[in-house]
Amino acid sequence: MTIRGDGLLVILRSLLIVVVVATASTVPGTWINLGLRHFPQLEAAQSMETFDASASEICTSLRGLSQGQGKLCQLSVDHMSSVTKGAKYGIAECQHQFRDRRWNCSTVHDENVFGPILRIASRETAFVHAITAAGVVYSISRSCRDGQLSSCGCSRSSRPRDLNRDWIWGGCGDNLEYGYKFTQSFVDVREREGSFKKGSREQGRSLMNLHNNEAGRRAVIKRSKVTCKCHGVSGSCSLITCWQQLTSFREIGDFLLDKYDGATEVKVNRRGRLSMRDPRFSVPTANDLVYLDDSPNYCLPNDTLGSLGTQGRLCNRTSSGMDGCNLLCCGRGYNTQKSTIRERCECKFHWCCYVECKTCVKNIDIHTCK
Amino acid sequence: MQGTIIENLSGKKLSLLVILLIIAQIVCFLIGGLIAPTPASSQNILGTQCKDTSINGSDENKWFYSRGNGSCTSVDDTHFSSDTHQQPYQIVYTFQMPVPRNNLDLDYSRWQQNLIGVLQVDIRYNSEVEIARRTLITLDARLAYRSKDPQDVWKPYASSTVERILDCSIDMPREQYNYNCKAMPLFELGSLYHDYYLLNIRLPSNTGKNQGLGRIVDLWLTAINQNGGFTKVWVSLKTVYFPIVLGVLTWYWKRVYMLSRSPALLEYMLLTLGSALTFLNLPLEYLTLAYDMPFMLLLGDIRQGIFYATLLSFWLVFAGEHLMLSFIILAGISAGIYLLFLSYMIWKVFKNISAKRAVLPSMSSARRLHYEGVIYRFKFLMIATLLCASLTVVGFILGQVAEGQWKWDEDLELEMTSAFFTGVYGMWNIYIIALLCLYAPSHKQWPIEPSENSISEEIEFSPLPTDPNEMLSLTAFARKTAVE
Repeated sequence: MTIRGDGLLVILRSLLIVVVVATASTVPGTWINLGLRHFPQLEAAQSMETFDASASEICTSLRGLSQGQGKLCQLSVDHMSSVTKGAKYGIAECQHQFRDRRWNCSTVHDENVFGPILRIASRETAFVHAITAAGVVYSISRSCRDGQLSSCGCSRSSRPRDLNRDWIWGGCGDNLEYGYKFTQSFVDVREREGSFKKGSREQGRSLMNLHNNEAGRRAVIKRSKVTCKCHGVSGSCSLITCWQQLTSFREIGDFLLDKYDGATEVKVNRRGRLSMRDPRFSVPTANDLVYLDDSPNYCLPNDTLGSLGTQGRLCNRTSSGMDGCNLLCCGRGYNTQKSTIRERCECKFHWCCYVECKTCVKNIDIHTCK
Repeated sequence: MQGTIIENLSGKKLSLLVILLIIAQIVCFLIGGLIAPTPASSQNILGTQCKDTSINGSDENKWFYSRGNGSCTSVDDTHFSSDTHQQPYQIVYTFQMPVPRNNLDLDYSRWQQNLIGVLQVDIRYNSEVEIARRTLITLDARLAYRSKDPQDVWKPYASSTVERILDCSIDMPREQYNYNCKAMPLFELGSLYHDYYLLNIRLPSNTGKNQGLGRIVDLWLTAINQNGGFTKVWVSLKTVYFPIVLGVLTWYWKRVYMLSRSPALLEYMLLTLGSALTFLNLPLEYLTLAYDMPFMLLLGDIRQGIFYATLLSFWLVFAGEHLMLSFIILAGISAGIYLLFLSYMIWKVFKNISAKRAVLPSMSSARRLHYEGVIYRFKFLMIATLLCASLTVVGFILGQVAEGQWKWDEDLELEMTSAFFTGVYGMWNIYIIALLCLYAPSHKQWPIEPSENSISEEIEFSPLPTDPNEMLSLTAFARKTAVE
């Protein structure tokens, strides 16, 4: 199968998408699938040694992993429960960030997680790649710090000769760096598996995914806070030690949503590199998201695209933003329904474990798209 | 007339000595920069929330830990909900130090010297439960230790109920964001005698404590320890310098003792300085490898403090001696002002000497050459003093500039912090060795050649009745012209 790169007409683009679907389907689904389903076998895998015989059994049962990811899974099967957690963080955050948009990060019940929509090299796809990569960095770093994931690396060299001596001599590196490196090898390996023709669309897509994965990983590091402690002579600042403190995942999600709104449209050039589609904009950095194709409008259900449409979605009548009825319903209008809801209010918090709330009854209008 | 070695040593020998000392200095910097790792490293540990099932959490000997045989059942993350009625004492935050890496259960080595624990609290913002800027937090903290022996159980080490002020702010008050809470110092272990440590923290709620805390999601402990490699390099430096400085000090004092006069203030100061350095050099760290010495942090502070105080007062006396004024009272001023002051004084000394040099042309050639040589050497030593002082202050200031341990630059080989520590430490030793050597009384007699106007010169430079004749001849020279 040959795909001509830039020369294609816009009309042909939808056809092209179908072609891409056909090629990519040789590896079904995506690793994000781990976050969607419950894999009880992973709980046992947490304490498993590497190269365990049952590791390959577990890894083949994890649907959605690519060939390289399957191999990495066998090498570090104990990491998989953290990867699962990371994918969960990513999906949940995506659904929170997109709750008011036409495409609301809805998932489907197969290994594709988000349906065929990820086949389109759109902004949304860029965001999904970034947020899930961020989720894995976040969750791996947390598990390392928790002590539950005991195989986190130590020094800057990947495999120290004598770990105990290295640790006594110079201490261990930061866990965040380890999370970054593991995610880099695990998430990116998929994009490096196929061999693409230089300057082809597939190669462009692979470059786009790599760029967005990196942006997601960097978002975690970018949003983490540095805390320092002075511990010199009598508490003076002659010695200072600093470390990275993870922020809440919501903050990372908000950061990436900003990047989504300011994402740059790129194309792949003949030399097989990404270049700006519109040279008037500034060149995206490694922290920015990039996309190749414009997004569909997601207004109507479309099985080929995987769009569910916005019919039946709740909207806000007074808002002029994306969640406003005008934009969300794509001008089709909305139905209004009177409803009475009960909600918690005037809450009082008691350390540690419970909140005392009153129940308030409210009469509100619920608007849904036609 | 007898002077000090700096005046009488031949130029060749002096330059040889200076070159040797400079080489030693460079070696000290390189040892720190190329061999030693960073002085300290840290491990960021996320607290595991264990569930205490005992009646009211009062069992002092029950320890909760998250790894190994008999580890606790951890409370689900979602313990914060309206329907679970857990009691505050039932949640125990456990921190097991150190955390494992590469599937290896790491343990602390005694080479790592000390352990500092810093606690950070992650509080999630919730518009329903906002918290005050400064909140009192009560922590029931218990520390236990264990050896590498797998049969060993956790033994209590220390326990206390402490109160800390939690300083939290939030820039963007949004749901699910965390407050920025300042890190709280929790504990400091002066010696790292045991292999594993375990910290159990409860947040008691009896008698209305901890009620304004809001929704705590995580407790983080940062365990900072000195690096074993740094200790090894440091102790080796001490081991090398200790006998050398002790030897030079004895030699110096023998020389001074042989004099017919009683020692001058400068000589006493130099002796004190040498002794303070010897005390600092004493490699007591070897003992911590065998014995539990929790007072080591304090002792280290005392040793360092004594040395700083002596060094600063010595510099003042040293500079003051040559101006014939006593500035000892001013010894307590801060490092920055101190340095400015010192530079100013040295500049004054230089000016003073330059003014006196105007007298030189009227002297006989030999004597003039002698004094010019002395002035030259003295200037060199003064500049060395100034350099040493500036490096000490710069090292002090540089220590405050945060050096990124999270740097992503892979091929950065030089360890700047360590280089500065070993460099400055080596410099002190070398500088004081140089002072002890050069300011020791000399045996050599400077030949007084007869010349035409020798009589007048004899009168001019004959020691004043109150002066001992073994004083630094430069001092005598300066004093003499001052009298005129």
